[in-house]
Parts: sequence; structure tokens; C-alpha cells
Amino acid sequence: MPPLAARFIRTAVVLLLIAFAAGAWTLAAKGTAAAMPAGLRGAHAELALVGWALQLALGVAYWILPKHAAGPPRGHDAPVAASWVLLNAGLAVAVLGAAAGREPLVAGGRLLELAAVALFASHALPRIKACGR
Amino acid sequence: MPAVTRWLLRAGMAWLLAGLAGGVLVAGHDALGLPTAVGAAGPAVFHLLTVGWLTQLIFGVAHWMFPRAGADRPRGREALMWAALLLVNAGLLLRLAAEPLAALGHATGPALAASGLLQFAAAACFTANTWPRVRGR
Repeated sequence: MPPLAARFIRTAVVLLLIAFAAGAWTLAAKGTAAAMPAGLRGAHAELALVGWALQLALGVAYWILPKHAAGPPRGHDAPVAASWVLLNAGLAVAVLGAAAGREPLVAGGRLLELAAVALFASHALPRIKACGR
Repeated sequence: MPAVTRWLLRAGMAWLLAGLAGGVLVAGHDALGLPTAVGAAGPAVFHLLTVGWLTQLIFGVAHWMFPRAGADRPRGREALMWAALLLVNAGLLLRLAAEPLAALGHATGPALAASGLLQFAAAACFTANTWPRVRGR
């Protein structure tokens, strides 16, 4: 597994734990008098869907998509590394925005997430091809 | 494909069918004259898809396909993955039963809290077994 894929997957696994901890807190607060910070539910959804599921999918895609016949087998690392930075920066901004109840921050974070996925897609699209080509 | 992966994928497929069927019932509970509790199951039904199907599918395929940990235990400690399978499904079943009742005013708080803890424990078991297998080289 290339180190960059491992970075995506390890980050995803850490965020899985944080997302499930936030989900457990949400569930505990639902039926009891336990206090729940405002925005916890939104942060939980962002962490689970983007931080865990999407990030894991990107890491695995970078690892297993067909390699290039010439040049670096998985293409240049820089756009994918930048995608990891943008995705997690966007996630942090969106989660903080959700926790603070600041919708413009959530929107800004999601814009960074969109940029991350666009960058990743531009790098991955040439690798989506029949094997051996 | 390891046995625990087969069970994770089977359970995931069952939750996918249950989640999609639940979506039909939640959306149509008024028209079908179903009890209010069915309409209140929306969040639980959503989690049947995201946790029961998607996350469980990821757990199973990751356990099957990720790089081997070593010659003696190629997929790590399988007992942790069996525990993840049992914990996540127990947590989901508990939530599916308790959440609609909570929406109707029944005291299901401890059951909901236990459901969250069971699912978190499943994620922790998966992480403990998977982490050493995720390494760049």
C-alpha cells in the first residue's frame, strides 16, 4: 500500500472512532437528560460521511485503481497529497461551523471538501481504464 | 474470503434490504395507516444504511483485502473482527427497537445509550485489528 493511501485510510479510521463517539453521545442524549452540545449531530454526520466513508474510499481508490503504463505508476503524488490536506481542512472547518451553528463556515468547509474531491478526481480519472491499457 | 468477512457482507446485505424497506415504510406510514412509531424510525432506518450496510461492508472488505499483518497472523486477531460483527449488529438492533419507542415518549434512554456504546465498541475493535495492517511501504 503506498504511503499516501495509508495516510488517507489511517485518517479515515481515526475519524470513524470520533464519528461513532459523537454518534453515541447523540444517542445517549436523545433518551436521557444528558446534555448534548448544539451542532453535535451535524458534526457527527460530517465526520461519518466525509471523514470516514469518503476518505476511506479515496485512499483505497488511490491504492487499487489500475496503474499507468508509463511514468509514475500512480501518477504524481502532489495533487493527491494536496487533496488530503484540502479534504481534512474542509472537514475541520465544516465540523467547527456545525458545532458553532455558523452556516457560512459549514459552507466554506464544504467548498474545500469539493475542491479536494475535484482535485482527486482529476488525478484518478486517467486511471479508470481497462486493465493492460 | 475469510468467514468473518462473509458474515459481515451477509449482514450488510440484510441491513441494506431492511433499510430500503424501512425507507418505504417511513415515507408511506401515513398513507398506509401504520403506527406513528414507524414514522419516527427515520433516523434509525438511515443508520441501517450507513452503519448496517456501508460501514459493515467496509469492515468486511477491509479485513479481506488489506495488506497482511504477518506470516503467523495474516489478518491480525480475527476475534476482534467477530466482536465487531456482533457488537455493531447488536447496537443496530437495539437502536431499531428503542428509537421509535423514545419518539413516542417511552423511557428508552439507557437502551439508546447502550446502542451507541455497542456501535462505538465495534468501531474500536475494527480499528484495533486494522491499524497495524495499514502501513505505507
